[in-house]
Amino acid sequence: MLVKITIKKTTNYMPKKIILLTFFILGSISSFAQEKFTINGVISDSNTNETLIGVNIYIPEKKATITTNEYGFYSITLPKGNYRIQISYVGYESIEETVSLEKDIKKNFNLTETGQQLKEVVITTEKTATNIRKPEMSVNRLSTATIKKIPVVLGEVDIIRALLTLPGVTNAGEGQSGFNVRGGGADQNLILLDEATIFNSSHLFGFFSVFNPDAIKDLKLYKGGIPSRYGGRISSVLDIYQKDGNSNKFSMNGGIGLISSRLLAEGPLVKDRGSFLFAGRASYAHLFLKLSDNSNSAYFYDLNTKLNYKLNPNNNLFLSGYFGRDVFNINNSFINTYGNATLNLRWNHLFSDKLFSNLSAIYSDYYYGLDLNLVGFLWNSGIKNYNIKYDFKHYVTDKVKLNYGISGIYYDFNPGTIEPSNSESGINYRQLEKKYAFEPSIYLDAEQKISNNLSLSYGLRFSMFYRLGSSTVNLYENNQPVVFNQELQIYEKATPIDTQFYGKNKVMESFNNLEPRFAASYQFNDDTSVKASYNRMVQYLQLISNTASPTPLDVWTPSDRYIKPQIADQVALGYFRNFKDDNYSLEVETYFKKVKNRIDYIDGADLIANEAIEQVILNGEMRSYGIEFLLRKNTGKLNGWVSYTLSKSEQRTPGRNASEPGINNGNWYRSGYDKLHNLSVTSSYNFNPKWTFGANFVLQTGQPVTFPNGQYEYQGITIPTYGLRNENRLPTYHHLDISATYTPKPNKKKGWQSEWVFSIYNLYGRRNAASISFRQNVDTGANEAIRLSIFGVVPGVSYNFKF
Amino acid sequence: MKNYIYLLISIISIFFTSCEDVIQVDLDTAAPRLVIDASIQWQKGTLGNEQKIKLSTTTGFYDNVIPTVSGATVFITNSDNVVFNFNETTPNTGIYTCSTFVPEINKTYVLTVILNGQTYTATETLKSVSSITNIEQNNNGGLGNDIEIKSFFNDPATVENYYMFKYKSSIAAVPVFEVQNDKFTDGNQNFGLYMNEDIGTGDQLDITIYGISKRYFEYMNKLILIAGESNGPFSTPPATVRGNIINQTNSKNFALGYFSLSETDFRNYTVQ
Repeated sequence: MLVKITIKKTTNYMPKKIILLTFFILGSISSFAQEKFTINGVISDSNTNETLIGVNIYIPEKKATITTNEYGFYSITLPKGNYRIQISYVGYESIEETVSLEKDIKKNFNLTETGQQLKEVVITTEKTATNIRKPEMSVNRLSTATIKKIPVVLGEVDIIRALLTLPGVTNAGEGQSGFNVRGGGADQNLILLDEATIFNSSHLFGFFSVFNPDAIKDLKLYKGGIPSRYGGRISSVLDIYQKDGNSNKFSMNGGIGLISSRLLAEGPLVKDRGSFLFAGRASYAHLFLKLSDNSNSAYFYDLNTKLNYKLNPNNNLFLSGYFGRDVFNINNSFINTYGNATLNLRWNHLFSDKLFSNLSAIYSDYYYGLDLNLVGFLWNSGIKNYNIKYDFKHYVTDKVKLNYGISGIYYDFNPGTIEPSNSESGINYRQLEKKYAFEPSIYLDAEQKISNNLSLSYGLRFSMFYRLGSSTVNLYENNQPVVFNQELQIYEKATPIDTQFYGKNKVMESFNNLEPRFAASYQFNDDTSVKASYNRMVQYLQLISNTASPTPLDVWTPSDRYIKPQIADQVALGYFRNFKDDNYSLEVETYFKKVKNRIDYIDGADLIANEAIEQVILNGEMRSYGIEFLLRKNTGKLNGWVSYTLSKSEQRTPGRNASEPGINNGNWYRSGYDKLHNLSVTSSYNFNPKWTFGANFVLQTGQPVTFPNGQYEYQGITIPTYGLRNENRLPTYHHLDISATYTPKPNKKKGWQSEWVFSIYNLYGRRNAASISFRQNVDTGANEAIRLSIFGVVPGVSYNFKF
Repeated sequence: MKNYIYLLISIISIFFTSCEDVIQVDLDTAAPRLVIDASIQWQKGTLGNEQKIKLSTTTGFYDNVIPTVSGATVFITNSDNVVFNFNETTPNTGIYTCSTFVPEINKTYVLTVILNGQTYTATETLKSVSSITNIEQNNNGGLGNDIEIKSFFNDPATVENYYMFKYKSSIAAVPVFEVQNDKFTDGNQNFGLYMNEDIGTGDQLDITIYGISKRYFEYMNKLILIAGESNGPFSTPPATVRGNIINQTNSKNFALGYFSLSETDFRNYTVQ
């Protein structure tokens, strides 16, 4: 094993800026007198050299725990002496090594995957138990290995489906895009793929997610206690890291499924110094469209790429990219294309043994295009953003770690460009006014171990948001773009009394917010702890969507004079326990979340191509609370987890003054994501090295909906009447899925290796209602209720290979 | 024009149609409410003197009979204070007729309905409309096997215009409505679009184009969405659609329906 010794003595090495920042944590620096040295390095997979994220490093002599960062880097400073270093990581062999710390040392570790050495032995050394010590809470990590064991529709492994098995995470139902965390909207999730924002996480309107599981290394979902380095969304952060690529040797893997096929190639650029990874996934055309033998098609594809190069031990470069598209083509008269693209260049630099930095330049965009040849109508819209961020991780002492950084994001929104698609078209060219914004922020947080029992993590984020020109703003009487018509007792669009023009890059409206974050853990013993957290999050972008789950044509819009940033405060308390020698883990968390400035739409609001969206919006608030249970069996032939959540999510939009009723008479009503009960059982049974079985059961309260409370006739058609919003629910949603994985030659570790995955989704054929709609039958004229259920019993098979 | 984007939603719904079934849902029924269906139509080339207004109430969603309302006082007053009285000529039909109505383009009219001591009023302006110039048929529309019928008209430039089409085919029990504005098509030739996969050669289609007000356009826009496929996978929270009728006695006890006045053009088309 390579041990590199750095000569530089770092005891007092601290750049001036850092001293300033360190000032915040005075208490912990007092122990500086003793001579101390730093050990740092990178932890990677022994086979592929892929760096490993979140590896636990435990020093029993000091009861100190540290974890590797997003780049596999760790650093710890300890008084001179001999120490045992225990390293453990999900799915890998734990290792222990003794080091003599008499000078600063650089030490890299390689971990070996458990499956590779233990052939027919039941895996017991795998450490998946809950982290008791860290103040981090409300966080779920899933490895791709775990995700791949969960049975899914048509055998397509899916990251977002896997998240839905966790407590506090739901979605609007089958075939609905996005996910909801702790009763929040899908637009309130910050989804990062290699740090780049993904604006729409779904393919095929939500049947599949945009993440190719083969190209993903690690993912982490923060539901609360969100560290200050994240900002911009109020409900959750889903942080996804792509693989770097194998720098040892060239290899390929892939899969053939019923819906899509995947292929990934990775290998060294320069042996042990750089690697590349290219992955592609494409669905077959004519999906779901076997109805007719014409030129209809519906398909998606995505490409992932990553290059990395180690300039020297202190400098690494990474380039990562993603490009994905969905295409629907109906008889060439209706063509719909949408998707995300991202590009990110990163530079890791080690200023010292204790100071790790990363500079990122990130571009990401979301495109939506619609070609209605039928009527000669061409529509393009999207959002582009450019982000520069500089992050520092400062391993001050064995008890204190600081994270700080700055970030600036420039947004360019195109709400819509309308063009005639052919010469016969009756459409005139029109550009809906573009919108621009700039979002700078700075943050600092500290992870501090106060005593052997108490650890804290606290920080502050200062976020700013500038809505920039050029743009024209409508001005309204009393500054109210929505007026209440007292005679008709309804909200209506106001007519602008004037407009105000702002030139290019002129600040039209600005906001700034302090976002405190805090988390604490108190450890009773080696197996039990309680944790508490508080976070304030601010979201300056709003998704203009009036449906329970987002649709691809929903438009993002920046905060402005009329649309205020959403501000969320969340507190959470948790109890964490590992028992029976870490074979079982129990996590219980309770939370309360309150959101200011959650927009709501007046009845019958038209959102598509609406240039004055402020005229259909009212400002309201949102609250959600609940209790989550997660019981995991970490080891043994049979392992898995049971998660249960009891929660409520509500919304309220009171009138702006006493004479207005607001929405729903100003009363609290269920948000579209309110799920009272949510139970999920995920299990995996390793029968023998050749066969592994999985089963997954989901049961949740039906989605809140509004059913008619009557009908009337107008102009020869019948129209339903409705009462208050979301008073009804769809029927209870449940399904059981099973899978079996067959590995013909489990001992084969070189050359062509393969596995078959067989699955049955919705084993007992539950006809879950995705929606119930009410309409007048055009043939009979009678009213009827229509249940739409998307999946019956769905068998699936896929073949995966690597070589 | 944005309505064409709603086509997206209906076309996407086609993906799902194979998994639809009719179910019985237990529904509550709210207390009945007055419904005023007052659509004054002046077909080009006629006098427009024969008009009718229908009064009914809301009822249970699954009820087959719509209750009618008799005994109301119904009249329309124009801006010159000329009063046109509407009477329920056939008892217990809820249909109130007038044979002396005088329609005038861009004139403002007020509807008054007095029932059980409550006075309801609504104010609207009579809007003109362009003629249907020609009708085209395409047998490979929609998903490839829909019959598409386009009814062309010329939009007058530089003025905001709003249109409604009503299609009543000989094969369907109920008419279909479509509304349009000229936001993206000002001053151009434009068309109403009817699509149906079940209609065939020899079937009849009655096509009516209406000139409508902006307010009525917004009303019908919401109404069409709610009548069509509300609560579908991409639908917005449905709500009762309010028209332009005001209860002057007690605003909380509002009536549903709308008072509109339109010039119309009519074509009967035989599917080729």
